[in-house]
Amino acid sequence: MGIGATHIDHIVISSNNSGATAQLFADNLGIEIKRKMIRPGTSAQLAFAKLQEVVLEFAGPPEPKLDEEVKARIWGLVLAVDDIDAAVTSLRDQGYTVSDPSKAVQPGAKIATVKGGTSGVPFAVIQYNALPIEEPA
Amino acid sequence: MLTKIHHVGVVVQSADEAMKFYRDALGLKVTADRVIEDQGVRGVLLEIGGSEIELLEPTRSDTGVAKFLETRGEGMHHICFESDDVDAELEGARQKGIQLIDEKPRLGLAGMICFLHPKANHGVLVEFATPLKEGH
Repeated sequence: MGIGATHIDHIVISSNNSGATAQLFADNLGIEIKRKMIRPGTSAQLAFAKLQEVVLEFAGPPEPKLDEEVKARIWGLVLAVDDIDAAVTSLRDQGYTVSDPSKAVQPGAKIATVKGGTSGVPFAVIQYNALPIEEPA
Repeated sequence: MLTKIHHVGVVVQSADEAMKFYRDALGLKVTADRVIEDQGVRGVLLEIGGSEIELLEPTRSDTGVAKFLETRGEGMHHICFESDDVDAELEGARQKGIQLIDEKPRLGLAGMICFLHPKANHGVLVEFATPLKEGH
């Protein structure tokens, strides 16, 4: 039984200023922020650090209010699976509500979210190499 | 040096109930399940790749985990970074002027552990851990 989860793919840290929170983690913990990007569609500001197989994703609004106190929280969890369709089917068979797998921000990846039953944790599964990677035009 | 994510902590009302998802539905293996009396929690560790998910169920009402559950409900509680020298990590944090919860490492479910104060990291609770050689 199970969904074939291989590892924690990423942990989302939500902040009202993701750049500031990512920098604080870098300063305090010595972790390296490897990449920053704007999320297509929502324009959310994202920053990423990686420790071995696990990515820390710092997510925040497009235009942080610089006069606000920065507040962050650990928001959600994404597990990597080898076969997202099988994982979704397994979870649905066990009574969980799961979204249809859809294209993820990560190139070539598909993601599906589990709604409810996760003890308050926003939760998703992701499969890499699930889609052909689009070449830039 | 912090080498990896050791675990993420999730506060739950009932570890048994939470395990219906994390153990039974996801198929994760339980590597530890015990009550830590001095912290007033039942902790359950479930293995996932090179990391773990830690379910934390309060066993009494006067602890930080119980207060978290009361005020925020179930959900993500902390991130634990693994180090091969938790004493050095704690001393390094102290020298940077980072606000601490633990003044010295103590024994926890993940090995020798210590917590930084969440105020030091924009409200995110961070733990350092050096696993014991003999495991959980």
